[in-house]
Amino acid sequence: MRKGFVASIIGGEQRYVRAVDDIDFDAYMGETLCLAGESGSGKTTTARTILRLVEPTGGNVRYRDEEITTVSKDRLRKLRMKMQIIFQNPFEVLDPRMPAKSLIGEPLKVNNLAPNEQELEGRVFEALTEVRLTPPEDFARRYPHELSGGQLQRVAIARSLILRPDFIVADEPVSMLDASVRTEIINLMKEIQRIHKLTYLYITHDLAQARYIGERLIVMYLGKIVEKGPMEEVIREPIHPYTKALISNVPVPDPTAERRRIFIEGETPTPIDLPQGCRFRPRCRETIQHCEHEEPELRQVKRGRWVACHKA
Amino acid sequence: MKVLEIENLSTHYLLGAEIVYAVDGISFSVDAGKTFGLAGESGCGKTTVAKSIMRILPDNGLVAGGKIWLDGQELVSLTEEEAKKFRWRKVSMVFQYAMNAFNPVLQIGNQIIEVLRQKAGCDKEEALEKAKSLFEVVGLEASRLRDYPHEFSGGMRQRAIIAQALACDPKLMIADEPVTALDVIVQGKILDLLNKLKEKYDLAVLLITHDLSVIAEESDQVGIMYAGSIMEMGDVVSIFKRSLHPYTARLIGAFPSVVGEKTKLEFIPGAPPDLTSPPKGCKFHERCPFAEPVCRAKNPELREFGKGRFVACHFAGELDLGK
Repeated sequence: MRKGFVASIIGGEQRYVRAVDDIDFDAYMGETLCLAGESGSGKTTTARTILRLVEPTGGNVRYRDEEITTVSKDRLRKLRMKMQIIFQNPFEVLDPRMPAKSLIGEPLKVNNLAPNEQELEGRVFEALTEVRLTPPEDFARRYPHELSGGQLQRVAIARSLILRPDFIVADEPVSMLDASVRTEIINLMKEIQRIHKLTYLYITHDLAQARYIGERLIVMYLGKIVEKGPMEEVIREPIHPYTKALISNVPVPDPTAERRRIFIEGETPTPIDLPQGCRFRPRCRETIQHCEHEEPELRQVKRGRWVACHKA
Repeated sequence: MKVLEIENLSTHYLLGAEIVYAVDGISFSVDAGKTFGLAGESGCGKTTVAKSIMRILPDNGLVAGGKIWLDGQELVSLTEEEAKKFRWRKVSMVFQYAMNAFNPVLQIGNQIIEVLRQKAGCDKEEALEKAKSLFEVVGLEASRLRDYPHEFSGGMRQRAIIAQALACDPKLMIADEPVTALDVIVQGKILDLLNKLKEKYDLAVLLITHDLSVIAEESDQVGIMYAGSIMEMGDVVSIFKRSLHPYTARLIGAFPSVVGEKTKLEFIPGAPPDLTSPPKGCKFHERCPFAEPVCRAKNPELREFGKGRFVACHFAGELDLGK
């Protein structure tokens, strides 16, 4: 896939925490690829490694055919203009002493892309309008404490859009927000994506949210991809025992829905001393002997469906 | 049988010269062996209700009016000394952040034993025995009573908190966002545990959460709060399937689901009002697509609309809410 994005990150040496351990995936132009999993699954590490906010111990990450893991600092700075990230908590990311105008305009300034104050203001107002903080003159003056959580996250989105990127990593961007504001921001993100043909790598622990925003889904467990495929197929007919359990435990806003929670033993262990064979085996209810000895490869079981399970 | 009955409760916070009308005249009751789900967005006053019942409001908070009956006893009028006696014994509370609920330098078992000795009047041996059996009830091994909080995973800590909350056989358990910080599989287990305990001990459970999906799956009765008031109340199925209040319908409509057809979700434009100066009339009118002049002029009372169904809307039953 030439106009795409390839990532494959191979784990470190022994005695390290293998936060992300040999995973492969592509994100295609204009799509939303969701990366889902529980705490400790490695989804956030994956996101940060892609942008080289964390250095991988091995493997390759390619953006439009360009290897990111080895590019020079200068080139990386250029590439990062095209690859942006939105974090979960805008209060932690945005400087409380700067008004929205400076927060949003900063990337332009830092990269010498605003020849004068007027041009800068124009671009900032445009970005504010795009994220529906209108009238922009009013919002441009406000400081973070004068904005609600949802408004502040929209400032963060405007800031990430100002350099006109084409790839955005969104790491739990709405998890801190109330349901209605959440939906408002997700709808906005979808609309912006359509207009600018953006590619999203959307990271979430919430599969209902993933289903709403994404076209494809990757489910991670302990640093590995356990299942990957088209969103609706995976949600409706999960194949990996872990995915099945995960989906069956997502609460649904309908008291009449037939729900049966699949229980699995214990909680996600630490990735330091991983079990032999399949790393999900100690909690799996469908194990066969093979699972003890050999780690299952992620393999294609149907068109577009990849599963890392010996029984698939 | 009614275990908790709240009558016209108002709780305010003093903020400098201003008053925050956090809870503004709400009434509901919780039966033994049932879960009442109190739902709403941040700042709607749901946690303030819990703190008013527990009598653990911060210094600038006060119950400005109303009555709270728990197991036949009125709580608002109790002195602090008397309040200490009913807390834990009659009502206990499980919070969201299980991490902070235990002292990190003391063994978890000792902390539970402490509650048993102080509150249930057990002697040392009785308390240890009881603590062991409580751990078993919540699905923890008794040997882990010696562990320190950091040795427990998030789910185990939440189980230990529930064990502690059960220590004195309370009639009512308040669970305030009991699973919000947990991973989904652990969430499922904790919710299941709460359900089992409810049946086993005939507990009344007041479940407080912003997550309507959890409310839908766990509640018998539901109250939807907005800006300090209950907007709608009734059994869980009619609240979700035949919503009468525009706020309820809109809020449910903002939640995605992993089952059923995928539909476009709608949000509620605007934000909840500032509770230092709540709007005149219905508190939702500024965001309500159906608002009429009467909604700006007159605050609708919570009125009975069919058996066991209550709604605070001038146009209840006349609106097309899409269901």
